[in-house]
Order: sequence, then structure tokens, then C-alpha cells
Amino acid sequence: MTAQAATGRTHAKAPPSWAGIAPSVVWVMWRREMLRYARDRSQLFGGLSRTVLWLVILGFGLGAALRQIEGYTYAQYILPGVIVLNVLFAALQCAISLVWDRQVGIMREVLVSPAPMLSVALGKLLGGATVSVIQGSIPLLFTPLIGVRLTVWSVLGAWAVMFFLGLFMTALGVIIASQLRTFEGFGSISNGVIQPLYFLSGSIFPLRGVIGGVGFLEIPQHLREELRRLGIFAIGGGWVVQLPTWIQVLVYVNPVSYQLDLLRYVLLRFQQLPMAADLAVTFGAAPVAVVFAAWAMRRMAANGR
Amino acid sequence: MSLPPERGGSPAASAAAGGPPAVDSGVYTASAATSAHGGAASTFGSQPAVTVEGLGRRFGDLIAVDSLTFSVAQGEFFALLGPNGAGKTTTIHMLTTLLEPTSGRASVMGYDVAREPQRVRQVLGMVFQDPALDERLTARENLELHAVLYGIPPRERRQAIEQALVWASLVEAADRRVRTFSGGMKRRLELARALVHSPGVLFLDEPTLGLDPQGRRHLWERIDALRREGLTVLMTTHNLPEAEACDRVGIIDAGRLVEIGPPGELVAKHAGEGGDLEDVFIALTGKQLRDEEATARDLMVSFAKRGGEHTR
Repeated sequence: MTAQAATGRTHAKAPPSWAGIAPSVVWVMWRREMLRYARDRSQLFGGLSRTVLWLVILGFGLGAALRQIEGYTYAQYILPGVIVLNVLFAALQCAISLVWDRQVGIMREVLVSPAPMLSVALGKLLGGATVSVIQGSIPLLFTPLIGVRLTVWSVLGAWAVMFFLGLFMTALGVIIASQLRTFEGFGSISNGVIQPLYFLSGSIFPLRGVIGGVGFLEIPQHLREELRRLGIFAIGGGWVVQLPTWIQVLVYVNPVSYQLDLLRYVLLRFQQLPMAADLAVTFGAAPVAVVFAAWAMRRMAANGR
Repeated sequence: MSLPPERGGSPAASAAAGGPPAVDSGVYTASAATSAHGGAASTFGSQPAVTVEGLGRRFGDLIAVDSLTFSVAQGEFFALLGPNGAGKTTTIHMLTTLLEPTSGRASVMGYDVAREPQRVRQVLGMVFQDPALDERLTARENLELHAVLYGIPPRERRQAIEQALVWASLVEAADRRVRTFSGGMKRRLELARALVHSPGVLFLDEPTLGLDPQGRRHLWERIDALRREGLTVLMTTHNLPEAEACDRVGIIDAGRLVEIGPPGELVAKHAGEGGDLEDVFIALTGKQLRDEEATARDLMVSFAKRGGEHTR
């Protein structure tokens, strides 16, 4: 019997872990995010109202003027964008709670505990990703209204993209939150991060393409093929549009463009960017961001805040 | 006291009663450690629970804590007494590995806070000045989270949590969200939570601050019970009766330790007949202790802590 056992003093051990990851800690932090989400009705309400505003009101409203983009109605075209918008909000809201937790919440309790920070971070990020999937699924409920037919595979594919996008954005949000000391900057942060990422991702206007209605202006077959060689897929007819170069550059450097493009492919079989780039960014950026976020949280722990 | 009866029993007694052996009684509070304390004193008692040597912390140009040296013996009830902004919280944060010292050394239960922070975290219990609870979770869920963070095995979690709820008199409120709790209830929950993993040293940062007189009394009764069980407690306070009830008091002002000793001795030495610690404090620093208003220095310290001029 050791001296400790003899005194009956069994100090806490560090939670059991393998390769720096304690599954129990990851689980308990993930569950905490889930419980918090389940008890916050406002988030669900926000997701619903955003969907109605963007998908139904803007989709049908602007759709009346634009008719079609590449053969899809405008509401269909922006469906993936609205999903992305919901994911961005869910992920950043989860991440930003770190600021609150650190000032008056549970974070200090976590920091004085022997729980490994990497596992704490992982639990939080996975929680943010899960909430993102749930919030991102709200627009899927509206698909019958806009005439998009879902299959089991398209839904599973969409969930996978949402999960990785959510993971990426939560991680990005945690990196930002770890630099914030107060909530004062929260409004500008959410506007300054969500809006550019959203607007410059090809979510509400195409990079290039044909806008207009079927029969509005029939495109002859040879022109259609020529356009295809330029990467413009003209299914119906209408105006050929191309964004100004400077906006194009911004769209190309925005990682969300590729995640959104993959989501659009999964749901609508329509794509504007190379598949390889979509896959690489969607599944590659998240793990990298997670590593940086875990590092940011560890550094935060070392700085005692 | 509303202590569960088995907590007073020795490990041997609980083993004889058919319960799981020593591990079980040790999981919750230091009570088991206490009951065996007499026997262990020869091995453990010689080593102080907390040792602080020349400990200091600067925030930029500001010296928040300046070269503190003291030690706290095992089983001792020790208070750092001083006005707001004296460096009490900064000291506690360094001892609990939340803040790295910029000079000197400190150890808790023999583990160096800078070199073995992970070990230190395992042996300490902490109650912060402001509640560190998840208000959207229930009391039980907060305790569960704690039990997992401290690596308490799943089989023992349930019992540890139930005991904590009983001890904090929160059994009926266990499944209510902490948001609905009064200040006193939150504090009791935090105190019970800090004991779940049977820490070697309990750190309390202004434990009764902001509570109404009744909540203050209830909490103090519980803290006092811990003391009778022989738990080592290091607390900060600027409440005189609380400091007077401690074994020893370290008076701290402007980041420096001005005087240290049993309250009675300090009063006899610096204040004389009929005096109290307040008089001691005035005699030593020329200032009132009960200065609730933040001084310019407090504002500087908290400003610097938030990141100085880079704060936005």
C-alpha cells in the first residue's frame, strides 16, 4: 500500500488519456455544448428566421427578377448559401461563448483542473460542429417549398460538409475569442467575420454564369459549347455574367467559397470551382484550424485567463 | 452540520461496514485524510502544504505581487488579509497555476507551481472570487463536469456527486439550473465542488464576498467544519471576523507581506489591549483595511491585467 492509500487521500488523477487526448473530457465538454444549445431556444429561432428571410423571402423575391441562375431558380441557387449562413452563426456563437466563460463562467474551473487542454478544446470544437450541423439542417426542411429533391446521400453528404465547415468556423472563432478580453467587440466581430465570408463565397451571386430565364434568350449549341470550355455552364438562356476581377480574387481566397461549392454540388449537382480544391479545402482546412485553436486555448491557459 | 455520517468515519470503519475500501471515503473530501492524519503526520506533516519563496508577479511596469515569502503547514487554516488590489488574488492565481510567477518560486504539496503545474492542479481545490459555474447547466451537471475533469472514475462519480449535493444542502435543487440559484447557493455548490476530488489544499478567494449575512454565516459554518476536519485552507479575505478565526494571518499591502502570525499575537504586538486586526492593519500600513472603493492602483492593476492599453 502506498503512503497515499494509507492516509486514504486519493488525490485526483489526470483524466485517463491516450496521446494527449482524454476521451472522457472531450465527451463532457461536447455534452456541455449540446446541453447549452438545447436550453437556448433563441438560437433555433434565429436559424428559422434567417432561413425564412433569406431562402423564402429573398429567394422568391429576388428570384422573381432573376428568374434563373444556370438553370436553377434563385431560391434553389441560394439554398447552400443559407445553410452556410446558419453554420457560420452557430459556430461563431459557440466559439464566442469562450469570452464569457473566461470572465464569469466555467473556463477558470477548467483551467485549474488537471484536464488536458487539447481535449477540452476538442470537446468544444466538436460541440460547435455538431450544433452547426443541427442549425445548418434547418434550411433542408424548406426544400420541398423550393423544389429541391433530397436523397439519403445528398443529406449525408451535406451533413459531412456542414460538420467540417462548422469545425473550421468554430476553430476560427475560438482563435478570435482567445484574443478578446471583453464582449465589446462582439458585434463588429460577428459582422466583420460572418458577412464577408458569406457575401464573398458565391453564396448569393455566381462567380460567372448565365442569369435569366429559359426561353428568354436561346443560346445556340455552338456558343453553349464555347462557353462550357470557358467554364460557364449554360443550361437555359439569358445574360452571361462575370464578376469583376477584384471580387473574383476575394472569392477565390475565401475558404468558405470552396466549402459552399462542395455543398452546392452535393445538394444541386452544380459546381463552379474545381472539385479537388473543394475537397482539399473542406476536409483539409478544418484539422489545421483545430490545431491552431487548441494551441490558442493552451496559450490562453498559460497566460492565466 | 449536515455532513453525511460516513464522512467522519475512518477508512477502516467504512471498510468494516462493507463499503468499498479507502478509495471510496477518500474520493470526496479530506475527511478521510484527516482521520488518518495523526498517523501520517510523521511522514506528511513535516512538509508544508504550501511554500512560497520570493514570489512575485509584474504586469508590465506594475508590480502586483512583490517577493512574498511564507509557508502554510498541513492542516493549517491560513488567511491572506488585505485591502482590494493588495495582490491577494494574484498570489492565489499563481499558487493555483493560473498565472505564471515572474520571480521566485512556490510549491503546493511539494509540487512546484511553475515546473509541475499538472501535479499541482491535481492536489488543489479552488473557489474563485466570482462564480465559475456554467449557469445554463444544473447543479448536478456542473458537478459531473468537475468529476470528469478531475479524472474520477465513472463508478465513483455518482456517489461523489450525491455526497457533494448533500453536503451543500442542494439535493432538492440538484436538477435546477444554476442561473436560478442565489449567491449563497452558488457558493455552497462551488465549495462542495472544490472538495469532490479530495484536494490536499483548498484555496478560497474571498469566499463570502457579496453574500448576505445569512448566506455568509451558512457558508462560514461549512468552511469551519472543514477546518475541524483538518483540511489545509488558504483563503484571502478582507473580512475581519473571518481572518480572526484563522490559525495564522498574513497581512498583505501593495503586493508586500507586511506581517504574519496568529491573529491574537498580532493584536497583542501591534494593537494592544482591546484592539483587533483592523488596528493592527492601521498600525502597520497607516491605512484603513475596509476600503471598499477601488483605489487608483486597483484600477491600474485590473487595467494591466486585462491587457493594458491593448484592451478593447
